[in-house]
Amino acid sequence: MAKITLVEAVTMALAHELEHDPDVVILGEDVGINGGVFRATAGLAQRFGEDRVIDTPLAETMIAGMTVGMATQGMKPVAEAQFMGFIYPMVDHVISHAGRFRNRTRGRMHCPLVIRAPYGGGIHAPEHHSESTEAMFAHMPGVRVVIPSSPSRAYGLLLAAIRNPDPVIFLEPKRIYRLHKEEVEDDGEELPLDMCFVLREGKDVTLVTWGAMTKETLEATDKLAEQGISAEVIDVATISPLDMDTIYESVAKTGRCVIVQEAPKNCGVGAEIAANLADSQGLYSLQAPVKRVAGYDTVMPLFRLEKKYMPSVDRIIKAVNETLEVS
Amino acid sequence: MTTVASFSIDYVQHLSPEGQLVGDKAPPIATDFEQLKKLYELMVLTRVFDAKAIALQRTGKLGTYASSLGHEAVHVGMGAAMKYEDVFAPMYREYGTQFYRGVKMSEVLLYWGGDERGSNFSGPKHDFPWCVPIATQNLHAAGAAMTFKLRGQERAAVTVIGDGGSSKGDFLEAINAAGAFKLPLVLVIVNNQWAISVPRKKQSGGQTLAQKGIAAGLPSIQVDGNDLIAVHAVMDEALKRARSGGGATVVEAITYRLSDHTTADDASRYRPQEEVENARRFEPISRLRKYLMSNNQWSAQQENQLLKDCAAKVDAAVEEYLSTPKPAVTDMFDYMFAELPHDLAEQRQYALEMENNG
Amino acid sequence: MKQFHLPDLGEGLPDAEIVEWHVKEGDQVTVDQPMVSMETAKAVVDVPSPYTGTIVKLHGQPGDVIDTGAVLVTFDISEDGSSQNNEESETATAKNAKTTKQQEDIGELINELEETLPKVAPEVASPPAAATREDSGTVVGQMESSSKVVSDVSTIGNIKVAPAVRALAKKLKVDLSQVKATGAGGVITARDVRLAAESGHAPAKKATPAQQSQLPLEAAATPQTAVTTQSPPPATATSIADGQWQQVKGPRRSMARAMAQAHAEVVPTTLMDDADINDWKPGQDITYRLIRALVAGSRAEPVMNAWFDGKKLAIRQIPHVDVGIAVDTPDGLFVPTLRNAEKLGPKEVRAAMNRIKEQVRNRSIPPEEMKDFTIMLSNFGVFAGRYATPVVTPPCVCILGAGKLRYDAIPVMGGFEAHRIIPISLTFDHRAATGGEASRFLAAVLKDLALPE
Repeated sequence: MAKITLVEAVTMALAHELEHDPDVVILGEDVGINGGVFRATAGLAQRFGEDRVIDTPLAETMIAGMTVGMATQGMKPVAEAQFMGFIYPMVDHVISHAGRFRNRTRGRMHCPLVIRAPYGGGIHAPEHHSESTEAMFAHMPGVRVVIPSSPSRAYGLLLAAIRNPDPVIFLEPKRIYRLHKEEVEDDGEELPLDMCFVLREGKDVTLVTWGAMTKETLEATDKLAEQGISAEVIDVATISPLDMDTIYESVAKTGRCVIVQEAPKNCGVGAEIAANLADSQGLYSLQAPVKRVAGYDTVMPLFRLEKKYMPSVDRIIKAVNETLEVS
Repeated sequence: MTTVASFSIDYVQHLSPEGQLVGDKAPPIATDFEQLKKLYELMVLTRVFDAKAIALQRTGKLGTYASSLGHEAVHVGMGAAMKYEDVFAPMYREYGTQFYRGVKMSEVLLYWGGDERGSNFSGPKHDFPWCVPIATQNLHAAGAAMTFKLRGQERAAVTVIGDGGSSKGDFLEAINAAGAFKLPLVLVIVNNQWAISVPRKKQSGGQTLAQKGIAAGLPSIQVDGNDLIAVHAVMDEALKRARSGGGATVVEAITYRLSDHTTADDASRYRPQEEVENARRFEPISRLRKYLMSNNQWSAQQENQLLKDCAAKVDAAVEEYLSTPKPAVTDMFDYMFAELPHDLAEQRQYALEMENNG
Repeated sequence: MKQFHLPDLGEGLPDAEIVEWHVKEGDQVTVDQPMVSMETAKAVVDVPSPYTGTIVKLHGQPGDVIDTGAVLVTFDISEDGSSQNNEESETATAKNAKTTKQQEDIGELINELEETLPKVAPEVASPPAAATREDSGTVVGQMESSSKVVSDVSTIGNIKVAPAVRALAKKLKVDLSQVKATGAGGVITARDVRLAAESGHAPAKKATPAQQSQLPLEAAATPQTAVTTQSPPPATATSIADGQWQQVKGPRRSMARAMAQAHAEVVPTTLMDDADINDWKPGQDITYRLIRALVAGSRAEPVMNAWFDGKKLAIRQIPHVDVGIAVDTPDGLFVPTLRNAEKLGPKEVRAAMNRIKEQVRNRSIPPEEMKDFTIMLSNFGVFAGRYATPVVTPPCVCILGAGKLRYDAIPVMGGFEAHRIIPISLTFDHRAATGGEASRFLAAVLKDLALPE
C-alpha cells in the first residue's frame, strides 16, 4: 500500500479514473507536461497522453466554459484552476451554467464535471495565491463544494466527485498538500459525499472545521486534552450540501460548538452552520453561544502577516474556554 | 521591413435583394427548388410564429420574448446546412434553426412563458438550450467540439453570437480555443447592426467583425445574412471543413434586426423609423419569394395557402402551450441533482406543505 | 548571535548529510561565500553563507546527518547592518544576497546581456538549489512538508476504522461491529463496508438517534415515563445490613447537608390537592405536563419562581424557569436542572430529560448543571405515596411534588365517574410567599394540568 501525501493522493485518484473511465479528461494550465504547478497531475500526461491531460491556453473562462460544454456532451472533464485566486473568471460558468443545466433542461442535460483548485493560505505565497472563498460556491444552487483534509479522504472524495453526475468544486488545502503521509490503497473505493467525518470523539465541546484548519484544530484538541477537556472534532468535508445531522448529534452530546474556518468570518460557511444550529433542536442542546474562529474580514495579508490572520491553536483554545465558562 | 501577415475578408452574396442570382458560380442549392421551397415555407412559418408570439406577450399570455424578425434566412440557412448529429448552441433568437432541427413552437412558447420544460425540447438531445449570459454558449460549443475531436467523431458544433456579443471575453476565448485546438466549430456572428440600443459602429473599431477570427488563425468570411442561398453555401463549406478535421470558421452574417431587441424594448427610442423601413427592403423572405416566383416555382395562390397553413400550425402550437398545466412546485427541487440531497429534501417537503395548506 | 538553520534544500526533504565544510570556526566570512556542501537524497548541494560575520560554531562534522530546520551554524554578526536577514525566510535571504552580488558584478554582466539572467559569476557559489535544480513542487511560496506517516484510524471497542469509513457505514446503515475487516492491521476498509451493505448481512440496529434529522434524541423517548428514573437493580447488592458504621459519601452526603440546611432556614408550609387529568388526550407526556404546569403557575404567581435570601431578607423573581428535578438513583438523590422550561415544547423536554437521565446514569453530568434552579419538582409517587411534604431547599421558594397516579371516584352531576388523578403537594417557604400566593399558584398548576393537551 502506498504511503502518500495529500497531493499525491489527488494524483492517484486522477490516475485511477483516467485508467478506468475513458470519458474522463483533465484540462487546465500547465497540467500536462509540467504535471501541474503543485505536481498534482505529475506523470499523467506522460502516462495517458496529451489528449487525456490537456494543456490549455491561458484563459480561465475558456476552461470553465469548455468544461461545461464537454460535460453536457457526455464527457467527465476534470478542470483545474491553478489557484483559487484565479478561479473567479470561472465563476460565471459555474453559477450560470454548471449548477443550472440539469434544472434548466429538466434533466435533458447535466454537467458531471469537477473543477479542482488549490486553496487557502499559509504557504508564504504572493498576493492572490492564498484565497479561501469556498462560501461563494456554497451559495450557488446545483453545485457541490468538497474539501478534503487528509490523503485518504482526498483520494476517496475526489473519486466520488469525479463519478458524481453533477458539478463538484473540489478545493484542495495546499498548505497541507505535503504535511504528512498516510497509507492509501489505490483500490478505487470512493468515500461518501454530503457527509461529515468525525475525526475525534469527545464529550465537552464540538469542534467543527474543514481543510487545512483540521491541523490546528487537532493540535488544539490535544492541548485541551491535557487540561482534561475532551473535544469532538468534525471534518465537514462536503461544505455544500451540509450534513448537519452529524453536527446536531455531536452538539446534543457536548452542548458546545466552536467552528474553525480559515475563510473570512462574514457570511462564511461557519455562519450557515451556526444558523442551522440556532434554527433547529440544536439550539436546545447548546449551553453556550456558538463560536466561530475565523479569518478576519480583511483582505488576506501577504505572507509576513499571514500567520496573524489565520486561526491559530491559541485562538481555538481561547474560544473553547469561552464556551466552557458560560454555565 | 517585411510583411509577416496580412488578411482579407471576402463577402459572399448569391441572391440580390431583387431576387436575382448574382456573383460567382451559384451553389447547388440555388437550383434545388424542392429544398428551397421547403426552406422558404419554414422561414414564413417562423415569421408567422414570431408575430403571434409578440401578440401573446402584448396580451399578457407570454413573458418577455425575443423576436427573430428579419433573421429568418440566417437561422434557417444554418439549420439546413447542419446534420442531426451536429450540435447547435444558440443564444435566444434562433427559432428558425431550431424548428428545422425539430424543436416545437410550443416549446419556445413554454420557455418564454416561464416554464423550464420548454428547454427540455424536442429535436436532438445534444443541442444546447437557450442561453442568456452573453457569449457563454460559444465556449460550451467549443467544449462540445473538443469532445468530437477527442472522440474522433465526424461531427461539428455550430454556435451563434450577436454583434454585441462578439465584444465579450467568452467569444474571444472561444475563437482562440478554436484556433489553438483546431476545433470542429463554426462560429456565426449574426450582425443585425444593433445590440439593444448600441449600434454596430460603437461596438468595435474593426472594419468587420469577421476579422476577429483572423487573429485566432481561423478562416473568416462575411456573408449577406438576408440571402438564404449564400448563408447555406457558406455554412455548408464551413461545416464540411470542420467535420473533416480542417478546423473552425468564423462567419459574419450581415442582416438587420427589424424588431425591437425584445418585447421589453422600444427601439424607436434610439433608432429612426426611416432606417428600419429602409432595411426592410433588404429583408430575406421577400427576396427569396421573388426568386422562386421568377423561376415559376411559386405562386400567389401557394402563398395564400401557405399563410393559412402557417396560421393553423401556429394556432395549434399556441393551444398546446396555453393548455399545458402549470408545473408542480416540486419541479423546483427534482432536477437540481441526480439524487436530492438531504437539505433540499427538507425544503421540498416544506414547499409542498405550503402548497397544500396555502 | 545568529543561528542559521538548515533550510529545506528541495521538495520537502527531511534532512541532509554534511559532506564538506568550506569554513572553520573563527573564520570571518562574507555573505554568499561558499560555506558547506550538503548531500541530500537527490544530489550534493552547496550552501553559501547567509550572513557576513564570524563563524562561532559549526554544528556537525562531515558525515553527520542534520535535520531540516536544525541549527547548522552559529554566527557572530558584524555591525555593518548586514543582519537585515530575518530568520523567517531563508529563501528571501538568498534572494537578497543574490541581488547584492548582482549589483557588485554589474560590470562583468554587461558583457553577458544576451545570456539569460540571473547568471552568477563562476567564482561565486551558486545560491541554494541552483546547482542542481530540485523540484520544489510549487511555483510560489513554500509549504511545510515531511515524510512522517500518520493515520487517523481510531479504535473504539475493538473496531478499527478511519473516520471516513465510519461515516460511510453510517450512510449505508451498516453495523461496523459485524463487518469483516480486511485492511492491514485489522482495519475496516471502505470496500469492506460496501460489501457488507450489498450482502445485507451487517444491518445497523434499529434507527439510531443520529439518523433523525429534527430531533437527535427523539428515538429513545417513551412518552409517559415518569421523571424519576429507577435504575435497574444493581448487580452487586448494596443493601445488606452488616451492622457497621459507614461514612456517608457523595450524593448522600450532599443530600444530608442540603436537607439539614433547609430544615434550619426554611419555614415550610404544604398545600395538597388533586389534579384531575381525566380529559387528557392520548400520548401526553407526564413530565412535560408537570413542567408546563409549573411554568403556568410561575406566570400566575412569579414570587414562587424566585430566590429568597434569608440573611439579607431580599427576594429575586426570576424571568426564566429552570426546574430542578429530583432524580433518584442507587447512589442517592441528584437534582439536575432543566433550563428555560418556559421555552420548551414536549419534544424538547423529552429530549432534555433523556439526556439528563443518561448523564446522571453515567455520572457525566457536570456540576454546573445541578445548580441554580429556580423552582423544584419531585415526582416521588412512582411506586407509592399520595401526598407528601417535600422539602424546598434554599434559595428556592417552592417545590411541587407529584404522587402516585390513581383512579378516584369523582362526583359529577347525576352520579360518580372514575377519573384519573395525580395527587399534588406544594411546599413553599412561608418567609417568601403568602398562603394566598401559594394557593393561587397551585390553582394555576391544577388548571393547566386539567387541560386536554
